[in-house]
Formats: sequence, C-alpha cells, structure tokens
Amino acid sequence: MRSWVRFAAGGLVVLLLAALAARWLANDYLFFAAFVVLQFVVLATAWNILGGYGGYVNFGTGAFVATGAYAAVALQKLADLPLPLLVLAGTAAGAVLGSALGLLTLRLRGIYFAIATLAITIILETVVLNWDYVGGARGITLDRPHEDPFFGTYNRMLVVLMAGMAVVAVGIARWVGVSAFGRALSAIRDSEDAAEACGVPTLRRKVQAATLSGAMMGAAGAPLPLYLSFVDHTAAFGLNYAVSAMAMPMIGGTGHWIGPVIGAVLLGTAQQAVTVTISSEVNVLITGLLLIGFVVAAPRGILGWLGR
Amino acid sequence: MDKGVLGRRAVLATSFGATLAAPLVARSQPAGSPVRIGFSIAQTGTLAAGGRPSLLARQLWMHDVNARGGLLGRPVELVFYDDQTSAATSPAIYAKLLDVDRVDLLVGPYGTPVQAPIMPMARQRGKLLFGNFSFRANEEMRYDRYFNIAPFGATPDAWPGAFVRLAHRRGLKRLAIMVADAEGTVTLGAGARETARSLGMEVVYDQRYPFNTTEFSSVLRAVRSARPEAVYVGSFPNETAGIVRSVAEIGVGSSVQLFGGGMVGLQFAPLLESLGDAVNGLVNFQTYVPERTMEFPGIREFIDRYAVAAKAGGVDVLGFYLAPFNYAMGQVLEAAVKAVGSLEDEALSRHMKSAEFETVVGKIAFGPTGEWRDPRMVQVQFQGVRGTDVEQYRQAGRQVIVEPPELVSGELRMPFERARR
Repeated sequence: MRSWVRFAAGGLVVLLLAALAARWLANDYLFFAAFVVLQFVVLATAWNILGGYGGYVNFGTGAFVATGAYAAVALQKLADLPLPLLVLAGTAAGAVLGSALGLLTLRLRGIYFAIATLAITIILETVVLNWDYVGGARGITLDRPHEDPFFGTYNRMLVVLMAGMAVVAVGIARWVGVSAFGRALSAIRDSEDAAEACGVPTLRRKVQAATLSGAMMGAAGAPLPLYLSFVDHTAAFGLNYAVSAMAMPMIGGTGHWIGPVIGAVLLGTAQQAVTVTISSEVNVLITGLLLIGFVVAAPRGILGWLGR
Repeated sequence: MDKGVLGRRAVLATSFGATLAAPLVARSQPAGSPVRIGFSIAQTGTLAAGGRPSLLARQLWMHDVNARGGLLGRPVELVFYDDQTSAATSPAIYAKLLDVDRVDLLVGPYGTPVQAPIMPMARQRGKLLFGNFSFRANEEMRYDRYFNIAPFGATPDAWPGAFVRLAHRRGLKRLAIMVADAEGTVTLGAGARETARSLGMEVVYDQRYPFNTTEFSSVLRAVRSARPEAVYVGSFPNETAGIVRSVAEIGVGSSVQLFGGGMVGLQFAPLLESLGDAVNGLVNFQTYVPERTMEFPGIREFIDRYAVAAKAGGVDVLGFYLAPFNYAMGQVLEAAVKAVGSLEDEALSRHMKSAEFETVVGKIAFGPTGEWRDPRMVQVQFQGVRGTDVEQYRQAGRQVIVEPPELVSGELRMPFERARR
C-alpha cells in the first residue's frame, strides 16, 4: 500500500512538473519532442502488457495508434466533440480492436500471431485509404484551436495530457505486474499448456490483455491528429510505431513495469536528439543497432543488465 | 543540424565551373551574423529522390548569393534536417528551426502531406512559408504569407487537366483513369475526372490500384477491354516502372491514342536510365525540359553546373523537375529581401504578392493563394529515345512539349502503339 502511495505521489510530481513547464518554459520545441517521447512511454508500456508479460509479440502498434487517431478524426468531424471525449473514443476503439485481435488471433501462437498483427495493420490501412470521410489517401487537416487559456498553446496542453496518460498507463502496467492477472500472463508466457493445466483461463486472460493493451495504444493515438493538425495514413500507420514500441521495452527490460519507461525515455530522447543533430538515417540505425545489441548482450534489457 | 550531407563536396566541385560559367562581379564579402534559412527536406523515405536535388539546388544558390555579397550584406546559411518524408516528424523539426535555431526565413518540406502540419504553425507564428512542390496546400487555409515555387497553379485541374485537355483537343472522347490508391495520385485522378466531365468526355474506366503494385498485366487488360482512346495514369516511381514494362510486354490496345499524364518517376534520371527506350510514346507531366520554348535566361548555365555537382554528390544528374525551381526559390527570396530591405515576414509577403520575379525558370508571379498566377505544367512526349544513356535527355527533341499550346515544341505522335515503336 505504501508503495502505491509513493507511486501516486511520483505520478503527481511528474504531472505537476509537466504543467509547470508548459506554463513557464519558453521553448516550444521541447514540447514537440516531449509529446513524442511521452507517447512512446504509453505505447511501450501498452506493448509490454501483451508482449512482455504475456509473451505475445504484437507488430501492429501502428494499427492501434491509427485506430485511436482516426476514431478521434471521425468524431471531431462528425460532432466536434471536446478533447476528453475524443480520447475516450480512441481508447474505446483501440479496446474493440484489441479484443477483436484477441478473439481472432490469440489461438495463434508465436510467429503466426505476429504475422496476424501485421496483417491487421495492412487491412486497416487499406480501409483508411478508401474512407474519404477521414481524408482517405490524401489525409485530412483538422481545424483545432492554437491557443490554450491556461498553458498558452494547444500543443503544450496536449503534452500535459500525454504526461497524464503516461502516468495512468504506467500505473496500470504496475498493477498488472503485481496482480493475479499479471501472474496469469507470466504463466502463459512461460508455458501456455502448463498454465492451462494449472487452471489459468488462458484465452480469457489473453483477450483481456490484448483489450487493455489496445485501449492504451488507442488512447495514445487519439491526440495525434490534433498534435499534427493533420493526419494521413503514413503518419498514423508509421512502421516506426511498431518498431519503437517493441524496441523500447526490450531495451529497458520486459519483465518489470519500469523497463518500458526506461527504454522509451532513453530511446525516444535519443531519437529526437539525433533527428535534429546528426541525421534521421542515423536515428533509424541507432534504433536497429541498440535492439540488436541488447538482444545479443543483454536479452533482459537494462534492468536485467543491472541485475534487478 | 545537417549543413552539408551532400552539399559541400558537390557544391565545391562546381564552384570553379560556376566562376567560369557566370563570372561574378566582385562584391564585398558578406559579414555579420548569417541570414538563416530553415527547412526540412526528405533525404530518406519515399520522396528522397526529389529531396536531394532540391537541396543541392538550394546549396548552389547559397553559394552564388554569398559570392554576390549575401542578403543585406550578411552571409546566407541553410539550416536543414531530414524529415524522413513523414508528416509525424516535421512539426518537431520546424519547432526547433523556429525556437532553437531561430531561422530568419522558412521554407516548407518537399511533399504535400509532410508540409500539411507546418501550415498552421507558420500561420500561428506569422512566418512567411515558401512551399516546395506541395499540391494545393493552401486551398483551405488561404494563409496570406504562403507561396509555392511549383508551377501547379491554384485550380484543381491545372496540373492533371492538361493531359485531358490535350486529348480533347485531339478529338478523343473515351478516357480511362487508373491511379494508385495514395495521396497525390488520387488527387490527380480527381482533377482528370473533373476536367473530363467539364469537357463532356466519357470516362469508360475509373479504378484505383493498390499503392506499390508492380505487376500490371491484369489492370492493363481491364483497361484495354474498356477500349479507351486516352488513358490517364497516376502512379509513383515503382508503379511507373511496372506499368511501362507491362505495356511493353502486352500492349494496351489499338484504340489508345494517348497514354500517361501523371506518372511520377519519369522526371528523374535513375528511372529513365532503367526504362531506356520503353518510355517512347508516353505523354507525361514535367515542369522544365531543354526545349526551345523553355529557354529562360540562365537555365542552361544552371543545369550544366547542377550536373557537375549532382555527379559529385551522387544525386539525380538531370534534375529538370525540381532543381531549377529550388534555385529559383532562392532567387525570389533574394530579390524580395533586396527590394524590401529587411527580413520582415509581412513586408516580404506583401512584396511577393505584388511583384514579378525574373528567375532561371522564367518570370514568376504569385496569385492570391500563393500558387503561380499563371500555371505552367507541361505535358511532354518521349520521342526518339535510344538505349539507356540519360545524357541524351539534355538534347532537344527527346521530351517534346505537346501541351500547353503556347509552349509546344514538336509534333504529337499518335496512336500510342505507333508512337512507342
């Protein structure tokens, strides 16, 4: 109980710092970079629930991000809903896709499951390409406010929102890690047959994990069109989401809730820094080399390397 | 920050040639803090083939303007980053350009979707934004400090409509439209459709194929069975290669008089080299070709200098489509800063709205939405291409201008089956 209090206090401090920075820091660039890093904290944490705890590798992060993004776009265009409702809609859409993925493909294991998640990305991208209401192949520009009465600009407010979502996502992952639900996922990862024999309702737990993971990814995708003021299929379904959301927990460590946070902050910050210092080609190279390096030299990530 | 990914070596390679080709009047050396021009440019990703020639041309201009004494007596510096051709990357880059690098002038990324997120940011900061070949990017926002260096024009049919108007002028009535299911090509298809409707032409085939398709025999058979007289194609480089090869293998039917229109890739040397004489007969869009009707002051010298730099930098050696326009972008900014006497965005924008600029791609004047007041996309027909040597494209008569009428430089060959032999 005391550790939860400490965690909640830490989360509140993070939120407070984000809000203060948004209110007082002058440099807008930091907020654009912070949005991306915080979004990756949510995505890596969400990926880790199914991939790290449950052992099911999901290559379809882009599909979930895009589902949240396009749910927000459609509802904003249809009813001009306020931001919290758009995020809720993105969360719900991601959860529905997650449960569908669970129901449809969780009977597949290993590489077959991974291929199915890739297939879902391709199917959804084709749907978006042909859905003119949300911009189709051309993409869509969103008319959103530029100012925010409290934080100055709308983007700064989005960063504070994303910081809040990151705290909630990490809190959920922390709870999963210590709950019976999390232990069931760990049992499934180690041996699904043994878990089933021990009375773990494997299919139900896997569907629940996929739904939870999908909901978190959908939530992270919902503010994306508002952050960009525009969205098209290349931005929403970017391969970088799939690669980074997987690389970050593997670099940080998949066995603990803090692993994806460490990976996302380190790799996300490095990617942002390299993009505007050396070149973007090097940015992609760094992700690849770090992933290979950690898989070979430290398969349990930074946490395993530090001996936790 | 990238300050010379391909630039220094390539630009230095041309500096001696530049001095010989265009002797410069000795000017005082620019001094003081540099005038910083910031932009993101695709050096990786799907549009890198166009981003690299654009960058090289700007670097050539930077070299020239600094040799002329810079802007307002200060040296010019380009501050740029690779946006990976991604709309998700560009907002952070432009935030850095504005807030950390504190650039004086802002140029947009190459490509419509990559630029879209930048428009609201530029408007919010009141910055002049010079677009680089974005298609109708300012149509909805109508930002009064936006300008586009591409000669697309403001109306939806100015670019894709040229092919359809050519077909209509030749008495063709049955049009087929086949476009890739992607940004840009869908827009082109819509423009072609709209023009055909306004001219009373019948659209007998109108389908999209999946983006990145490379095998087109079934699509071409479907087109053929509709017996069109003109086929409008909107494709990206890989698809263009697939379509040209499939046409060479199975043909497209004797009814077809004109084929092409919106095939991306045929503007760049690597694909032309790869396709060789299979491009003969195709009618396609271009912005500049070395024909007698497009002999603008300084263009030959620029193309020659660019070729030297491109060879040294490993970039598209022809560079007809983007490079001269990116050099012209620098010329427009240079003339505007000189006329206004400051880097103030509002004053520069006001001047650019009203003035006419002499550039290596001819006279440029901007309309109300920042697009060229007089659009000038041309349709060219590949004629007499032999083998795979791209140097032949430097001669007149290989890409003959067949539209618009005021720039026509040769005879259009029809039907397509005969023209491609």
